[in-house]
This record gives sequence, C-alpha cells and structure tokens, in this order.
Amino acid sequence: MSVLEVEHVTKTFANNNTKMLAVDDVNFSVRKDEFMCLVGPSGCGKSTLLRIIAGLEKLDFGRILFQGQPIDKPTPKIAMVFQLFGLLPWKTALENVEVPLEVLGVPKENRVHIAEEYLRMVGLDGFEKTYPHDLSGGMKQRVGIARALALKPEVLLMDEPFSSLDELTAKTLRELVLNIWQNPALPTNTFIMVSHNVEEAVFMADRVIVMSPRPGKVIGEIRVNVPRPRSQYLRDKEYFRYVDEVIELLEKGKAIIKDKSPLSLTAKRSSKF
Amino acid sequence: MTWLIVTFLPYDETKNLPLYTFSTISRIGITLVVSVAWGVSFGILAATNKWASLILTPVIDLLQSIPILGYFPMVIGFLFALGPLGIELSVMVLLFTSMAWAIFFGVIGAIRGIPTNVAESSRSFGLTGWRYIRHVILPAITPAVVSGANLAWCDGWFFMIAAEYIQYRGDVISPPSGGLGFLLARAAYEYRDMTLAAVLLIFITFIVVYFNTLTWHRLIDRVSTGTYKPVIRIDLSGVGKLGVAKASIWIHFGRLHWPKSFSIASQRLRRYTRVEKIVAIILVASTIFFILYNVFGQIPTIANIQGGFNRPPAEELVYLPVFIVLTMGRLAIAYGISLTVAISMGVLAAEHKRFATIFFPLYDIGQGVPILALFPVLSLGLNQIIGDQRIALEITCIIMLVLDMIWYMFLNIVSAVKNIPTEINEVSQLLGFKGVKRITHIVIPSILPAIVTGSILSWGTGWNTIIFAEYLPSTSSGIPPTSIPGIGSLLDKAGYEYGNTVILIFMLGIIAAIVLLMEGLVWRRLLRKFEKYHVEV
Repeated sequence: MSVLEVEHVTKTFANNNTKMLAVDDVNFSVRKDEFMCLVGPSGCGKSTLLRIIAGLEKLDFGRILFQGQPIDKPTPKIAMVFQLFGLLPWKTALENVEVPLEVLGVPKENRVHIAEEYLRMVGLDGFEKTYPHDLSGGMKQRVGIARALALKPEVLLMDEPFSSLDELTAKTLRELVLNIWQNPALPTNTFIMVSHNVEEAVFMADRVIVMSPRPGKVIGEIRVNVPRPRSQYLRDKEYFRYVDEVIELLEKGKAIIKDKSPLSLTAKRSSKF
Repeated sequence: MTWLIVTFLPYDETKNLPLYTFSTISRIGITLVVSVAWGVSFGILAATNKWASLILTPVIDLLQSIPILGYFPMVIGFLFALGPLGIELSVMVLLFTSMAWAIFFGVIGAIRGIPTNVAESSRSFGLTGWRYIRHVILPAITPAVVSGANLAWCDGWFFMIAAEYIQYRGDVISPPSGGLGFLLARAAYEYRDMTLAAVLLIFITFIVVYFNTLTWHRLIDRVSTGTYKPVIRIDLSGVGKLGVAKASIWIHFGRLHWPKSFSIASQRLRRYTRVEKIVAIILVASTIFFILYNVFGQIPTIANIQGGFNRPPAEELVYLPVFIVLTMGRLAIAYGISLTVAISMGVLAAEHKRFATIFFPLYDIGQGVPILALFPVLSLGLNQIIGDQRIALEITCIIMLVLDMIWYMFLNIVSAVKNIPTEINEVSQLLGFKGVKRITHIVIPSILPAIVTGSILSWGTGWNTIIFAEYLPSTSSGIPPTSIPGIGSLLDKAGYEYGNTVILIFMLGIIAAIVLLMEGLVWRRLLRKFEKYHVEV
C-alpha cells in the first residue's frame, strides 16, 4: 500500500532570465513502512524534490498524493529533518521540540511532557535546558529528530541528515534512525532520506532511487535485499554488489550529460566523424 | 561637573544646566522609543510583505539620504502653528528623521539574515503568520534592534545641536524647555565664549560615553552572547564597541557580520529593480509636491516656481558651477586626508600590536564626541586664533569633513586588515614578504574592497556634513551669518535666511544628482573591479 505518490513532478527555477529545469517529470511511490533513499550528485534536484514533498516548495507540474490526497503545504503528518538542523538558536532543546506542538495546540504541560519523552528517546536527557549553541552537531541533529518525531508524523523526510556530522557521529545516528524506523511503538514508519553517500543509502534503505543532474531525472532504482540488521553484512560481497550497482547507475547518469554537452569530448568526436 | 559649570560661568542659562541635560536626554529618549516602535513594525512589514517592501524600502532609503535640513519646510509648516508644544514636537520630528533609519534597516537586515534552514524548518513545522513573528522574527531581530537603537541614540546626540537650534527666516527658534544642544549653540554663536563651549562639549561627550559604556555595552553584550551567537554575530571585539555600534547600520544590511560590509555596499547599489525605482520616483515626486503644497498652501504653479527662482538667493544661482567645484574640492581634500590617514593608521595598527593598544582606546573616546557639536567650538576657536572668519570657517569645514569621513574609512580598513585570512598571512610569511613588500603585495590589495566601501560611505556622510559645515548661522543678538561659497551654504541660505523652498528643493535635487552620478560613474565601477579581491571568510 503506497502512502506517498509522486506523479510527474516538474520544477523549474528562474534565475536572471535563465530557466533551469531542476526536477523533470519524476514519478515514484513510497509504500507504508518503507525506508526509501534518493541518491544523486549535488545539484540533481533531490533536495528540491524532498522540499516539494514537504510542501515547502511549489511544483510547476504534477502532484504529490499523501494517502490519496494531494498536498501543497506543510502538514504535521509529514515531518522533516534538516541537514543544517534548522533549530531556533534562541530556544532551548526542550523548547525547540515544543514549538511545533504548540502550533498544533497541545496544552503546555502535555507538550513539555511529550518533548521530554522524545528527547530521552534520542538520548538527550539532561540537555533539555541547553541552547543549540552549546550542543555538538550530533546532539543538534538529535534535537532535530526528536522535534520531527514528537509530531507523530506518518512520513519522515530527511535531507542529508548526516552529511554535516563527522563519520563516527553519523554512524551512531544512522543506527538511532534505523531503530526508530523499526520501532513498532512509534507511528512513524515511512522514511524518505536524501543522500549523496552511496554506502549510507545501501546500508539504510529498502530501496534506492538514483537521480541524474540537470535536469533532475530518475535514472533507475535498486531494491536492497540485505537482511537487517545490516551492520553485520557490511563486509559482505552482497552488500558491495548493491553499492556497485548504485555507483554504476550514477556513472550512467553522468554519461548522459556528457553526451549532451557541446564541450564534451565524446560529442566533439561524434560530430567530427 | 555640573556644579563646576554653574558656579564658574556667569550666564543665566547655565543655571538651568540640569534641566537642559534632563530635557535633552528625555527628548532623545522619547524619540528613541518612537523610533524603535516605528522601525520594528515597519521593518517587519517591509521584510516580510513583498508589496510593502516594493514601496517602503526605496522610499525610506531615499528619505534617509535627505539631510535633516531637507525636512524643515514640512516640519515647520505643520508644527510651529501649535505653539511651544509644536516646537518641542518639531525638534523631536527632526531628531526622528535622523534616528529611525538605523533601526529600520537593522530590522530588515536581521530578518533577511535568518538562515534558510531556520526559516524552512519553522515553516515546515507550521510556524506561520503571527507565530512566525513571535518565535522566529522577534528573537532574531533583538540584537539588531538593540545595536540599531544604540546607533540611533548616537545619531540623536549627533544631530541634537542642529535640531535644538533651528533657524528660520532669520529667527532662532529653540525648544521652550531648552537643551544642551541649544546651550552649546548659544555659547558658541552668541556669547562666543570658547571656554563655556569647550566645557559643554566635554560635558556632552562625557554623557554620550557614559551611556555607551554603561547602558549600551551591557545591552549589546547581553543580546549578542551565548544563545544568539549562531545566527547573529556582531563582532564586538573589533575596533571598539562604540565604533561597532555606530557602523552597525551597514553591517545589518547584509548578513550581520561586518567584514562583509563590502558585499553589503554592492548589494545596496544593485538592489533596486526598475519597478522599485519607478515607484520610488513617483513617491518622491508626490512627496515634494505635498511639501510644496503645504508651504504655499496651494497647488504649486509654474508661477510659484518661477517666483521662487526670482527671490533671493536666486541671484547666486549663476555661480552654481563654481559652487559645485568649490564644494567638491573641499570634499576631495577632506577625502584625500582621511584616506591617507586612515590607510596609514589602519596598516600601522595591523602591523604593530603596541601601536594598536595605544591607539584603539583613544579612538574609542574620539567616537563619543558629537562631531556636529564640535563645529561651533572649532570655528569659534579658529576664528579667535586666525582672526579672519572666512578662513577659519574654511578650515573648520575641512576638519569637520575629515573627522566625519575618516571614521568610515578607518572602520572598514581596520576590519579588513583584521580579517585577512590566516592562510594568506602564512603564505606571505612562507614566500618571505616583509616590510614594504608585505604591505604592497598583501595588505593593500586585501583591503582594497574595504577602501572602496569606506569611500562610498564616507562620501555619503560627507555630503550630509557639508550642508552644516559651510555655514555658520546668525544669532539672535544680531551677528550676521558667515558662509563660505559652496552648494551647502547656498542650500542653507535658501533654507535658513530666505525660507525659499523652491531653491532649497532645487539644491537638494542638485546634490542628489551629483551623488547618483558619482555612484554610477565611480563607485559602481570600482566595486565591480575589486569584487574579486574580496576574501570570503
């Protein structure tokens, strides 16, 4: 059963009289309980696509269906985790988690209670009164995750959530996110993550969608059939086969652009002979 | 100190010094409160509403570039009819016209400086409308409002002497409750008492510095430390805290970090779209129309305008080209002096730590002196030494311009010197650059963008100052005004002596035209040329 459907989504950015096709006729659907990952080089429109799904960006053509209903503005059913955390610097960790709940009209004592609970879940008990400035990058992202989960969304969007963290922290947080995803007690079980780290995508996702840049197009998808928990298979051939498959697709995406470019070597040669 | 002045000086007014001090402080205070309320509400409106921004930003930018004197006709037309209260009000309106902008532009800059990830995440979690203002905008602008208010406060003291000693058609109009600016102007212009004027100047400087160190520093420190730092960074360890406060208007424009002032200035020059320019022209044209309408009490006809050009000081308009050359010459001399001094001081301060430790505190106190208040004191002092009033005024004028212009030059240069990236310094060490070579190959090129920015700002403030500095007003005791030929003094004559609005507006138009011409022909080109030198830190 698909929770989210992306149908013919197209988005153009206009900049100083030049139009840039950022997302070009992208189609896919995400099933309930699925962990899906969008992979592509920078500038391939994957973050734009995620923002369109979040309702932060308007699309030019196509539509996004959430449980069969079209969406065009942010809804608490779809929450997002940001690459640069997006925390309000003038609010403590606890208050940052509280704010979206306040918007939903949750009474004060309730939301303090909920916020504390989620901060504890991401391992931040004791840091409730700390301001983002005094938290490390990994801790900030923990607050970001707690804030998103506290809304009890059905879909969690993650925009390169680990790419501004060091590798050790990222590793810990990946495990944390997977644990949350597999926790049946939490209502949030459908995850869409944007990443440019192929190994991370294969490690985490059920399905990897590969995009090519300029214009952002889907060039293929790979179902990852490595049993979970996957940390024990990290040295397996099986795991690297998937990684190679994704990289191959990415290379193919690059080749497509090269052919189109008038400056590329292949294009020149073909015109000569 | 108050006691000292009251006992030692035999003037009636000096007995009222406590009252005058109180009335000036409260006048600036009240205006400050009004300015903050106005700046915050209109700033938020202009930064969040596309249509409001389309109209407000260019209009306010134009209004702020009109010197305080330009507001005279409107203020006088409306408020003097109300009697003493009206005079008090008009002083405050004049102060407002010099104070409010800092806060307005600070608010806009701070809102534009909210990082995308914060704005986006807030939107995705449903913070819209009033909630967005309360949870995101208000906390984000707090530091900008505080330092903008500090700047406004300093500006208030700067312009107080002009606002409390208004000349209109040969009469001196002063606020009924008096004021320090009024007292200083009177001491200098009417009593010609150098000692009293100097003591008053020190007194005023003392008050400004006192408030800056005690109130503002604490407030700024409070809002800019700890929790707020990641978003709003105001570098208080820079030139000196007073300096930062005064310059923060330019800082706030862009990303709230002052080494970036270069990109800010270029943004400022490129900011307006064609639509915005047209809107601004229409609105300014209608404002001028409105002023004329109020002054003449009727629709300005061609006959009115011709009448204006027939009345004095119209006969002096023949010499307009000469006046322009003279005024530009003064500005150029002052600019040359400030450029040389600022560059050498800046480089010295950067190269020699010991020099910096002596120089910066001195410089800090210098910031506290309201330059405009220095004008009567200086011209009076020089007059007594030289004996020729015109020559004294000429020198005073250039000194005033230098003091005013050097500030921006210096601030920009020092911040640029301090922000030469360590890598560049290391490279220059590895390559063995030393002494003069280091300065010509490393230091000067890396501060060139800052020099251009500083030049733009200092010419801007120079035009503002020249309007005061070419003209020594008359006194109620009947001493005639002294002036040196130039566009500033002609504008003053039209405004102060003859109340000739047509020529006043005409002169403002000429000044605006010169400023725009210089911007287009000189500054834009230089900015573009040196843009690539700018090192993003």
